[in-house]
Amino acid sequence: MEEATMKHNNGSILCSIAPPDLLGRLAVEGTPKQREAAVRALATSAAIRSQRAVMGRINRQLRLNIGQMIGFAVTPERRLTVYDNQHQGRTFLPGVQMRGWEEPPVKDEAVNQAYDGSNATYEFYRDIFDRNSLDGAGLELISSVHYGVAFDNAFWDGAQMVYGDGSGRIFQIGGLTRSLDVIAHELTHGITELTAGLIYSKQPGALNESFSDVFGSLVKQYSLGQSAADADWLIGGGILLPALGTALRSMLHPGTAYSGDRQPGHMDNYVDLPDDNDPRNDNGGVHINSGIPNRAFALAALALGGNAWDKAGRIWYQALTTRLRPNSQFKEAAQATVDLAGTLFSSSERDAVHGAWKEVGVLS
Amino acid sequence: MRITILRGGGLPGIVARTELDTAALPKTAAKAFASEVARANLGECPAPPTANPWPDAQLYELRVEESGPVINVRYTEQSLPESVRLLVAWVDGRPEKVESIET
Repeated sequence: MEEATMKHNNGSILCSIAPPDLLGRLAVEGTPKQREAAVRALATSAAIRSQRAVMGRINRQLRLNIGQMIGFAVTPERRLTVYDNQHQGRTFLPGVQMRGWEEPPVKDEAVNQAYDGSNATYEFYRDIFDRNSLDGAGLELISSVHYGVAFDNAFWDGAQMVYGDGSGRIFQIGGLTRSLDVIAHELTHGITELTAGLIYSKQPGALNESFSDVFGSLVKQYSLGQSAADADWLIGGGILLPALGTALRSMLHPGTAYSGDRQPGHMDNYVDLPDDNDPRNDNGGVHINSGIPNRAFALAALALGGNAWDKAGRIWYQALTTRLRPNSQFKEAAQATVDLAGTLFSSSERDAVHGAWKEVGVLS
Repeated sequence: MRITILRGGGLPGIVARTELDTAALPKTAAKAFASEVARANLGECPAPPTANPWPDAQLYELRVEESGPVINVRYTEQSLPESVRLLVAWVDGRPEKVESIET
């Protein structure tokens, strides 16, 4: 058989006859009730996306907190909304509103878990870093649950968190919204997007992933009142099928979380993969090589002692929000955290952070 | 006809493989399979490259082998057409599918 060449969209007219998305179709062809619901959902989705695209661009270009900008209203109160995607997909995001801020729990456990996890993450950033939501100005936290059918993933789509139910073949059913560190991981992608803007590819992408793991783990540790020494340093513990493994990642011992875990814990084992949309290559190994900065953080936190959010967390937070750029590499991130440890604390903290990056082979 | 769906990236970074072969299907399901594949327009409308990938979004590769040329296309969660999502969901719903994790 002849192997067809991998094709990309060349703008041919054939692509324009692909079936229109479900909402668009319902808005035109549905019953009056369907049309009303579809138009409302389309308007919500478009408003969220355009607002966030503009905010993100301005934040990154001007390095400003949105609250500093004239003309933008700062919301002092938190805003948090959970939607039900009703097992559809991208074209039905966010879906049907299920629970807004300060509304009582609903019958759907996934909705309540997404609500509570977002709220705990909001409170962590507010209490520890004096940050009002993702943009520092009270941006509404939007989550959609029940994405797709038996969907084995959770992601950040540039505007909101999205959670599948899990299929019971990789993730335990209901596991993704049950995991506070997964929720905090996804929300931190929003902060990264609005601050450093680390591109999602190769080393900047692995740093992007690592910052989400770092703050995902810190939100969990904070909620449990755990010190660095007491923490398990696992991401997504207990949400994979037990036959696959105990967690998605181990920050302290990368490569040991599940059977087939390819994460390295040292630059000697860095996995150099192309960023070519091949599912095997993970955007250039972003979930693989994040093991290296993850281990550096865990080692630094253990060396600094106490609660990881007090010193190590503050250093990493400052690096993410004030020092790093879209194309930052591991070495730049390492040097930024070393410098910040000295500035925010003292030379002993500086040496501890340097030692952690040295142990994973990023600094010498 | 045989379809192989690879899903990778995503929050776990795990690569999952799902395969389905016409030979394993009852006659009516085999017909429906062919019609789902045709409706997905895999060869005609492949994925555009994605400039700003969504963090943790899945990457998809679909490979269809039959008597003609092999169709092999890649999508991101952002670029996955609704017709292809429906095909993936149809395959996922078949008890005859074979699933494995790539390591």
